[in-house]
Amino acid sequence: MKPRWKGKGSEAKASADPMSKIVSQLHSSLIRSVARGLLLSRNVLIEADAELFYLFNRARFGRSRITSQEEKQWFQLDMEEAFYLCFSLECLKGIGKDGSIKVSYKAYSHLRYKNWVVRSGLQYGADFIAYRHLPALTHSEYAVLALSKGDNELNGRLRVWSDVHCTVRLCGSVAKTLLVLFVDSNSQGTSSPSCLEHYTVEEETITRWNPEQSREDQTSLRNQTNLGTI
Amino acid sequence: MMPRWKGKGSQAKANADPMSKIVSQLQSSLIQSETRGLLSSCSVLVEVDAELADLLNRSCFGRPRITAQEDKQWFQLDMEEAFYLCFSLKCLKVIGEDGYIKSNEELWDYLKSKKPVFPVSYKVYSHLRHKNWVVRSGLQYGVDFVAYHHHPALVHSEYAVLVLSEGDNDLNGRLRVWSDVHCTVRLCGSVAKTLLTVIVNSNNQGANSPSCLEHYTVEEQTITRWNPERSREDQIGPKNGTKKV
Repeated sequence: MKPRWKGKGSEAKASADPMSKIVSQLHSSLIRSVARGLLLSRNVLIEADAELFYLFNRARFGRSRITSQEEKQWFQLDMEEAFYLCFSLECLKGIGKDGSIKVSYKAYSHLRYKNWVVRSGLQYGADFIAYRHLPALTHSEYAVLALSKGDNELNGRLRVWSDVHCTVRLCGSVAKTLLVLFVDSNSQGTSSPSCLEHYTVEEETITRWNPEQSREDQTSLRNQTNLGTI
Repeated sequence: MMPRWKGKGSQAKANADPMSKIVSQLQSSLIQSETRGLLSSCSVLVEVDAELADLLNRSCFGRPRITAQEDKQWFQLDMEEAFYLCFSLKCLKVIGEDGYIKSNEELWDYLKSKKPVFPVSYKVYSHLRHKNWVVRSGLQYGVDFVAYHHHPALVHSEYAVLVLSEGDNDLNGRLRVWSDVHCTVRLCGSVAKTLLTVIVNSNNQGANSPSCLEHYTVEEQTITRWNPERSREDQIGPKNGTKKV
C-alpha cells in the first residue's frame, strides 16, 4: 500500500533519512550510555540525556514524561518498545508466563523490524497504529490488531461479527486500514524469550467490499481479505 | 436522556401515537388474522396484507422483502422479533421447515441451536421492547441493537446496545479488552449514540426453556467518555458511569 505523505517534500525527507538508520542510531546510543531502566508493571522508565532524548523522539519510541527534576529527562517506554530495544534484559526473562504479551510483542517487533513506526493504537480502538515514517510526514496507514492464531482463548477481539463491523467502521472513519497480524506460536514452549524467533506472523487486511466498485469489468479495489506482505 | 426528535412536529406525532398503542394494534391484528410465520434458517418470513404491513412498519418489526408477488407483502423477522411476537405478545405462530407449527419450547430450542447466545440476547430485546423502546439490529454500528424512543423516522436512535452475560464467560464476545471498549465508545460517539451495555444474569436458571427468562435479571449500564475539564467540582458535569435507562 502506497504511503500517503503529508505535503510536498515529505517523501524526499523520509528517503534521505530512513527509519532503519534512525533506529540504529538510537540503539547504539543506548548501548554506549549503558542506560538503565526502571521496570513498572507494564512500562519501563529510563533517564535520558540530551542525545538519547533527541533519538527517542526521532525514532518514535516512548513518551517523554515531565518530572520535577529539571536537569534530567525521563522517557516512558511500553513493554514492546523496551523489549525491542533489547533494553531491559531482566524484563525479557519475565515474559514467560503471559501469552498475550508474547503475541503483542511478536506483532510489534515484526513491524518495527520492517522499519515501520509502531505506536499505541488504543485511541483508535486497536493494539497499534503503524506509520511508514515519522507521523509528522505521513498519515498513519494501518490500525493493527495482534491476534493469536492457535490459542483462541487469548484473543479478546474479533470474536463476533459486531466487533468486526465496529472495528472496520471506526478504522474507515479515521482513514486507516485494519491490519490483523495472526501470530502462530508453532507449538513452541513458553519458557524462554528465544522461542519468539520461531513464531510466525500472518498479515491480513480487512476492508469493506463494495459491489459497485468491484464489478468484473473494472479493476477491483482491495477486496475483503487480502493476504499481502507490507 | 431526552430523545432527539427529527424536525418539527415529530414529537407531537409520537405523543399522539405512542409506540405502546401501535404494538398493541399489531398484536390484535395478527391474532385476528391468525397469521403464520415460516421458519427459514435464522429468520421468520410472514406474508401480510396491506393493513398488517402498515402496522409492522409503524411498530418497526421486521423488514419488508421484495418478491415477485404483487398482491402480497412479505416481511422478514429476526429471531428476537419473531420470538417476541410468539412468546411475549402471543400473537404469532411459526411453522417449521417440516410444515408443523412449532411450540414456544420447540422454537426456543431451535433458535438456541442457531445462536447460543439467543437466551441472553432475547432477554435484552424483550426487556427494552417491554418498556416501549423500538429495538432494531445494531450490526452496522458494530453493536447488537440500536434503541429508539419511537419510530426511526421521527427520532434519532439514542442507544447502541451491547448484550453481555454476567460473569466472565464464553458467551461474551465483546468488551473483553480495553481496545474494544475504546473502539466501541469512539464509534458510538461518532454516530451520536450512547453505548448501553445490558448485563444479563441467569441466576443459575439455565436456558432449557423460555420460562427460565422470568428469573433472569438485567442490569443497565451506559459507558461514556469522561471529560475532566467538564467535570470539575464546581460545575455540573456530563453524565458518566452507571445510569438507569
